[in-house]
Amino acid sequence: MSAQAPGAWARWVGLLSAREAPHSLAAFRVGVGLCLWHAFGSPLITGTWSLIWVDVDHGGYRPLGGGWLVSALGGPTPAVIGGLLGLGLLLGLNLVVGFASRLSAFAALQVFLAITNLNGHTGGSYDALIPNLLWLLTLADSGAGASVDAWLRARWASPPTTPVRVSAWPRYLVIGQLLTMYCSSGLQKVGASWIPGGDLSALYYILQQPTWQRFDMRWAGHIFPLTQLATLATWLFEVGAPALILVLWWRRTRARPGRLRALANRLRLRDAFVLFGLGLHIGIMSLMEVGPFSTASMACYACLLHPEEWAALLRRLRPSRGPIPA
Amino acid sequence: MPDAHPPRAAAPPRAFARAWPHLRALLISLHVLAVILGALPAPSGGMKRGAWRDPTVQDEFAAWRGRLAAVGLDVDAQTFEDELWAFATRFMAARAVVLKPFGPYYRHFGTLQTWRMFVAPHRYPARLHIDIYENGHWVNVYEEQNPGPDWKQGLLEQDRFRSALFRYSWASYERSYRQFAAWIAKAAAVDYPEASAVRLRWFKYKTLPPAQAAAGVEPTGSFIMTHVVPTHPDETGAVTPPATAAEPADAPVEAP
Repeated sequence: MSAQAPGAWARWVGLLSAREAPHSLAAFRVGVGLCLWHAFGSPLITGTWSLIWVDVDHGGYRPLGGGWLVSALGGPTPAVIGGLLGLGLLLGLNLVVGFASRLSAFAALQVFLAITNLNGHTGGSYDALIPNLLWLLTLADSGAGASVDAWLRARWASPPTTPVRVSAWPRYLVIGQLLTMYCSSGLQKVGASWIPGGDLSALYYILQQPTWQRFDMRWAGHIFPLTQLATLATWLFEVGAPALILVLWWRRTRARPGRLRALANRLRLRDAFVLFGLGLHIGIMSLMEVGPFSTASMACYACLLHPEEWAALLRRLRPSRGPIPA
Repeated sequence: MPDAHPPRAAAPPRAFARAWPHLRALLISLHVLAVILGALPAPSGGMKRGAWRDPTVQDEFAAWRGRLAAVGLDVDAQTFEDELWAFATRFMAARAVVLKPFGPYYRHFGTLQTWRMFVAPHRYPARLHIDIYENGHWVNVYEEQNPGPDWKQGLLEQDRFRSALFRYSWASYERSYRQFAAWIAKAAAVDYPEASAVRLRWFKYKTLPPAQAAAGVEPTGSFIMTHVVPTHPDETGAVTPPATAAEPADAPVEAP
């Protein structure tokens, strides 16, 4: 058995063989499904979809190519793009309720890539983040908890199934993806106004950019020192994000000795990271219009809570209903 | 469940079951490697030398030259840019070689890692203005982020099109900007049938520093990239608008 073999590889294999309850993955799946509604629904409601994703010959403003899927369906016409957007919304609903979850995630991934790759001028980093999350939902047993899939599985299973356990590695990969995104973004914030030692005015000036602001932000001039503090905190948070891996390891091995481990657990650094990160994204959502970037990022936070923590949270919300079903 | 007498047919699945954790760990490792390599910082969006002339970029270069000078590394502006360009070009070429094996995985499974977000604030932003030429004078029907003239505002300020608007105020996107202007002219012909032309232009200004913004100072700037498109190009006898008569293009003006 691999767990008995010594060495780093065996430990790596052992870590990736761990299994756990499906609650975290279920919450993540619901979050990504809602995010798809945001990503596909907003251009539909405003009508922007027919401007940006339809070829100039059919009412759009640019000549567009099209990947294999759009080409196979007949090109970027209103009927094809409208149909794909409708399908995308349906697949998002599937993810929320957990119906044919892995298949829906993979189909949503292909639909998302097919649509958003049409016009490279009209996207943001969420066009990279959302497909990554859909791919991880495809790899994971993402329909194992809080889903129609789980309900059907339990109904048809004979003999009755034992409590559902899923592989833990997809949750690790979601966390890894989130931290990679933060760190990479932080390292690329090379403007002199971002990096400590400068005037830390980056956030103030970004909030003044008409492209991204939700409303006139000149009032930020009155709280400039606060924006400087936020600039520094954001940069440190992003660049230092990979340190969370160590913090999570210390949480997992809390019984072991070590002053730093004990201190990190006493300071509840994981909780501090979650609170700061969620605050950052809520702040971005409130002040800036950057599409579903924050909703997609916040969906990943579901995986920062261990399934047992989700179970405890749900028990607290509905104490009289007994154990949490998968 | 232990089996004292396993049937022969069960042997291959058992061998696979033993190998699977290792194979899975290998595949996950490759995924992690693809993610990390793809996410390594790269100046992909900045590889347009022409865009380096923008004042925002020039200000950044000046700030970094100042920092280098502070530690005894004096470099003149031209050398700094040339060296930076040469390094970035070499780096991007090497990066392309390293990432090539992962290309299909990035493209077909959505694992692309592009996290260049707010690399540096744009200190010389531009606001799009759209005017129509009607009854002998220009009428402003849209101004970016202004709740007043709000024609097509919901459409143009949806987050995806904000990304396009950001690009089209840069000269390197001139062609796409003109395509967008042609679309706007068609849309204006429907909503303003009396209009004979539509004018798109950008009010480019320097963002006010905090103290001036707090004091209520209005930014000054100039209109750039003015583009006039007839709304009924096939009709004869349409009123021809004065392309630059209303005000000299690119002349410094108060914030509208």
